[in-house]
Amino acid sequence: MSLSNLIKNWSSLRVKRPYEDQYKDKDYKWAMVIDLDACTGCNACTTACYAENNLPVVGREAFSKGQAMHWLRIERYWGEGEHMDKFPDHGAQFLPMMCQQCESAPCEVVCPVGATHHTPDGLNSQVYNRCIGSRYCSANCPYKVRYFNWWQYPERAWPNPLEQQLNPDVTVRSKGVMEKCTFCVQRLTEAKNRARTEGRRVADGEVTTACAQACPTSAITFGNLADDKSQVARIWERQQIKLASDKQEKDENLRGYRIFEELRTYPSVVYLERVRDSEA
Amino acid sequence: MIHTTDESDIQIERRFVPKAKDISEDIAWAQINKDVLRSMERPRLMYWVIFLASLALFSFGVYCEVYQYQTGLGVADLENPQVWGLYIATFIFWIGMSHSGTLLSAILHIMHADWRKPIYRFAEAMTTFSLMTAGLFVLVHLGRVWEFYYVVAYPNERWVWPNFNSPLVWDATAIGTYLTSSIVFLYFGMIPDLAICRDNAKGFRKKFYWFLSLGWQGTDRQWANFRVAYLTIACFLIPLAVSVHSIVATDFAVSQQPGWHITSFPPYFVAGALYSGCAAIITLFIVLRYVFRFEAYMTMPILDKTCRLTFAIAMVWTYLNLIEYASVWYGNDEYAKQTLIFRATGTYAPYWWAMNFLGSIVPFALAFKSLRNHLPTMMVVSLLLNLGMWLERFMIVTPTFAHGYYPWTWTGDWWPSWVQWGIVAGSFGWFSMLFMLFCKIFPTVSMYEVKEMVYHRFMARKARA
Amino acid sequence: MSSSNIDRRDFLRVLGISGAAATLAGCGNTSIESGAELVESYVQPEDFVVPGVGVYYASTCTQCGSGCGIMGRVREGRILKLEGNPQSLISGGKICGLGQAGVQVHYNPDRLTTPMIREAGAFKPVSWDKAMATLTARLGSSSTLSGDQIAVLTGEISGHQKVLLGHFLESFKSANHIVYDALSPAIGQAANKAVLGVEQPVLQIDKARLILSFGNDFLGTGPSPVHMAAQYARFRKAPRGTLIQIEPRMTLTGANADRWYAIKPGTEGVFALGIAHSLLQHQEYAHAVPAEIAEALKQYDKDTVSEVTGIHADAISHIAGMLWEKSPSLVLSGPSAEGHVHGFNNAAAILLLNLVLENRGKTLQGQASHPFPQLTPASGSTTALAKLNQAMSAGQCQALLVMGANPVFTAPTFVPFASNLAKVPFKVAFATQLDETAHQCDLVLPLLSPMEDFGTHVAGYQPSGVELAIQQPLMERLYPETRGLGDILLDLLKQRQPEAYKAFPDYYAYIKTAVTKAKPVFKSKSSDDDFWEDALRNGVLRLEAPPAALEAHAATVKVGKPQALETDVNFPFFFVPSVRADLRDGRHANLPWLQESPDPLTTVVWDSWVEIHPTTAAQMQIREGDILEVQSATGSVRAKAYLFPGIQPDTVSMPLGQGHTGYGRYADGMGVNPFKIFDPMYDERTGELALYATRVIIKKTGEHARVVKDEGATNLQQGRKLVATMAADQAELAKEISRVTQ
Repeated sequence: MSLSNLIKNWSSLRVKRPYEDQYKDKDYKWAMVIDLDACTGCNACTTACYAENNLPVVGREAFSKGQAMHWLRIERYWGEGEHMDKFPDHGAQFLPMMCQQCESAPCEVVCPVGATHHTPDGLNSQVYNRCIGSRYCSANCPYKVRYFNWWQYPERAWPNPLEQQLNPDVTVRSKGVMEKCTFCVQRLTEAKNRARTEGRRVADGEVTTACAQACPTSAITFGNLADDKSQVARIWERQQIKLASDKQEKDENLRGYRIFEELRTYPSVVYLERVRDSEA
Repeated sequence: MIHTTDESDIQIERRFVPKAKDISEDIAWAQINKDVLRSMERPRLMYWVIFLASLALFSFGVYCEVYQYQTGLGVADLENPQVWGLYIATFIFWIGMSHSGTLLSAILHIMHADWRKPIYRFAEAMTTFSLMTAGLFVLVHLGRVWEFYYVVAYPNERWVWPNFNSPLVWDATAIGTYLTSSIVFLYFGMIPDLAICRDNAKGFRKKFYWFLSLGWQGTDRQWANFRVAYLTIACFLIPLAVSVHSIVATDFAVSQQPGWHITSFPPYFVAGALYSGCAAIITLFIVLRYVFRFEAYMTMPILDKTCRLTFAIAMVWTYLNLIEYASVWYGNDEYAKQTLIFRATGTYAPYWWAMNFLGSIVPFALAFKSLRNHLPTMMVVSLLLNLGMWLERFMIVTPTFAHGYYPWTWTGDWWPSWVQWGIVAGSFGWFSMLFMLFCKIFPTVSMYEVKEMVYHRFMARKARA
Repeated sequence: MSSSNIDRRDFLRVLGISGAAATLAGCGNTSIESGAELVESYVQPEDFVVPGVGVYYASTCTQCGSGCGIMGRVREGRILKLEGNPQSLISGGKICGLGQAGVQVHYNPDRLTTPMIREAGAFKPVSWDKAMATLTARLGSSSTLSGDQIAVLTGEISGHQKVLLGHFLESFKSANHIVYDALSPAIGQAANKAVLGVEQPVLQIDKARLILSFGNDFLGTGPSPVHMAAQYARFRKAPRGTLIQIEPRMTLTGANADRWYAIKPGTEGVFALGIAHSLLQHQEYAHAVPAEIAEALKQYDKDTVSEVTGIHADAISHIAGMLWEKSPSLVLSGPSAEGHVHGFNNAAAILLLNLVLENRGKTLQGQASHPFPQLTPASGSTTALAKLNQAMSAGQCQALLVMGANPVFTAPTFVPFASNLAKVPFKVAFATQLDETAHQCDLVLPLLSPMEDFGTHVAGYQPSGVELAIQQPLMERLYPETRGLGDILLDLLKQRQPEAYKAFPDYYAYIKTAVTKAKPVFKSKSSDDDFWEDALRNGVLRLEAPPAALEAHAATVKVGKPQALETDVNFPFFFVPSVRADLRDGRHANLPWLQESPDPLTTVVWDSWVEIHPTTAAQMQIREGDILEVQSATGSVRAKAYLFPGIQPDTVSMPLGQGHTGYGRYADGMGVNPFKIFDPMYDERTGELALYATRVIIKKTGEHARVVKDEGATNLQQGRKLVATMAADQAELAKEISRVTQ
């Protein structure tokens, strides 16, 4: 943000985001759909995330203190409103929860150094080099999906030769910085660069996140919302979810919803309701 | 300043003379100099006890910080979502402490409350040192403290600015400004006294005070400029003090979390700040009075007034506290209500009830004159009030993390590690160490202003002669 | 519905030309990035190694016996990540967490890097030459051992390794290839064989409209979880199938059920027969069973069944009604129904429902016949181990070779494997990492990791047609002093029968020859080399073949009187061990990703725990984290209590796989080993160990510790809309856009 840039683009910086059709003429707006009816809670996605994004294994001690580093966690809830002491007649409720890549992200405004900010393709990015570790972003995140490096993991999480597994496309984070799901930005950048070199837009299905790629039931759909024909855009449209709306006006039998929409975070992840045969 | 014997002039001054005599008017100016300068020579044994105890605490805090710095913040048992722990709670506490100095030296100065004169100097020192302590916590809690300067808007090659939307940047700016202004104010008000020190000191101390007193001769022109400048800084400092704690409040109020997203937070924080600051003044008043044999200057009537002031602020705080609960209770935010109920009934309920008891019930001890004039009682009460105010800050930070929006990350039994407690204890050591050093090196009682208080007596004597 | 773009990318990957340059975000499009200029390295690396470019190679996952095709992402010569191979019908381009952790077997910091010989009670690293000399001195050309004097103990093994092992044993005139699987599905397989004529039928989950599963965890620990999950995804699309799960302790599959019932352990057969009884009221099913069974079933009225099983009587007619309504259906039996004294009967009774409902040929089919039966996996059982144990105890066994099995850890206390092992004079372990059994051996030979070795695998469960899965190295070997099992066996065979094996310089040459010889079966017209290259590139050789027909032997189902379970005053609780999809029998406890991957239902990591129902816990005043002593007739273990609503109240459950004492830094000291408290209970029909028949008593120790788990202070949604649920009749799934094709 140079000073001249700031002055020149002052009016655009003052625009309230997100606004309708913000990404209509853009090349990319990455988004996701997670079908909770297909999700079985098997944890394949979380392991894929560890493998792709160099997530450290923190060990029992740190895990018990709540210092786990799983960018993507599978939550398991029991029936709402019921007490724990009954049987869960309709099974468990699994929820894969990762950074929702909010369009109006509570973390972005409060970061004192601008280490987390919004990218032009709609990602909520995290700049490790800029992060000073105030953890204000985590404090203000309603989803609590930001993970802080409480320890110097590069020294302890990958004893030789485990470090050879580290993905060279992804930074290994040192102590004192915040991190979170990036929608596998290294894959997106790679695909965008390739497409740009070939003078085209990234095609639907050409790039996907590690979690979506692994998911045995294909519960996760990832893609470019700015591309009308992409799978993700079509599902969003069919589910009548609008990115820039905090209250969706949609048909009753549609399953799509976003979590904590009422907080006006405008998440980029749409969940499809779990379905249960109530007669069974 | 030109002293006249014009009776009408005295009449005008008299309007501001309090009914109860704050200090004996029999003290000669020379005696004042002697008493105050003596405090810089041989304090009671208790001075060394307090100083060494502070040094020990501070050293332990440094040890904890070095350990944390080298190992990572994990040693503090911070976690997701309890990302701040005691550090931010204690940060607010120290910021709060800093407010009473400004209250006494600036606000009461403008209001011509003369009883503040013997005690404002140490209150002002308290402001400066507690701000410095608070600043330390900003550094201590950072994950990468070695990059702390990223928060400051400094010119750099890439034109990378801090994020001006972030209350933390406001914080850094406000605290920096307030700290600078406080130091200037403290130092500036001390110049005439430093000249007295210079005149009475020998050896290297003479050089030291000679340097610091900036060639003060006590000429009329110097006094006239001094008065104007002092008043100007005082006026500048008052809005600054209010803004600093308001901004600290916005750290929470601007965020969206249940229990923090409350409009009344800025005045609530300012009231809490004045409250804990005044309580701390009572504590230090009693300590200094004993340690430096200041019984003649830090008198019971002055303590009485300070206590009454504290009681008034305590009631304001209680009111704003109730407002906070009420606005959550009657609000539409179900989650904020849950967090409030969690505070009152959950894991940290004992501390919540203790906070309310210490903050709102214990101050009623200040309403009784007999208790107000009993030093040991006041010592205990003032410490309890500050404990209550520290708990208040703890209860702002912790339960929101423990019981926020996202149920999956609720924590039932989070408790800080010894490293956190060590650093918090170290901060108290650091503060009292600095404060004790200050008292030994600088005049803790404003000599020239106490002289103003006994001025009438002096004038009478002069008239007799 | 999958778009052609996915295919394109996957296609590139198979060719090994996918992946792209290192990310250079935010630096603008330079002339190099835009392709106007090209920067070439001074050092020309080996073929396919382009710095900054990930290359994908096909291989086969060996973490479990499913035989999923995988793709390894290799960069600068290092294997980084495993993904599914879309060429493989079994994996369908997907992969589970267990499979991904395969790279950690390879990079494990506790891997064996040199051979070890026991000298004076302690292991000493030795050179490979010395190790081989020791081995050939005993088992080489001069060996006098024969017949029962030599035995090979393995886990499930298939492909050419199995063939070579067989040949090796043959050279000693021995057939002692003992396959031991601590979690063997042998009882269920026997029941399948008896009722349907095959050991493992093919389940067509996606074709079923209703699945009634008795403890079958096909999504977690079944024979081919990744394939089943893909089928399950289709099953859940319009028209959405319904899943009813009946089991004493909720499995991952149970957690995904539309309706979950807690049943008293071991009474599943009674419940199944109760449903059969109810179904036979319908005219169209009346002819499905022999008359004497129909007669015997009359004892299974719903009140009796309800009393025995602990499930409400109305549930029986309700489920029967749904089965009648939603056809085709699929009824599955699982380990928790089979692991009992009458486990075979339970399984047979459950399978009877499939016959009644005429699911044969609709949702249940026979596997296609395999053109290379010698390559099909040798399946394991616990009786095999018991026999070996007897032989060792009698001093018959003079040499024992162990690989892929860890009976010192998994054998129950009444099978004193460890002490009998000491009676074998020469014990050799082949392993990538020392485990409890290898620790007791005399010679340990370090194997290549699955990422470094060639191999062929045949899955025991072939969903459609037949797949011969090819495993190839995804990177150079990490340690020079490690070798592949195939190579070692070949060396030994060359000593024993030099003439027969001299044509093969190494195992690679052996399997290349073997695979290319199979070319006619796959009807390929390409040259031998091309065929082999294609096989490596695709990672799998597929043969389309029609499914076999299933038989129907309803008469083999024994219908006795519905009997309630005896209660044991001394041991009032049923003990249901749970199998974790990632740790299995404990062989994967050394992989840190899996240790830190929360158990899906409890979210506990790095530990063992005791699941107990909240009402039972309340009666016994047990809180979460209280350390409980779980005592059976044979032993006891201590673990933290975890209050778990998905369990039958008279039951406690503990996960298997933890409690290692000699399996590296990530496994040792984590939790306890419930294998050691199993009671000596055996299935009457097959003689297999009944894993779910143990009874225990729970004692509070008064100690308390924090349960290490991901779950926070609550496990309810607390009024937030996090996981929303819609009734199936409300959702219009047919109108939705989905990647999962019907």
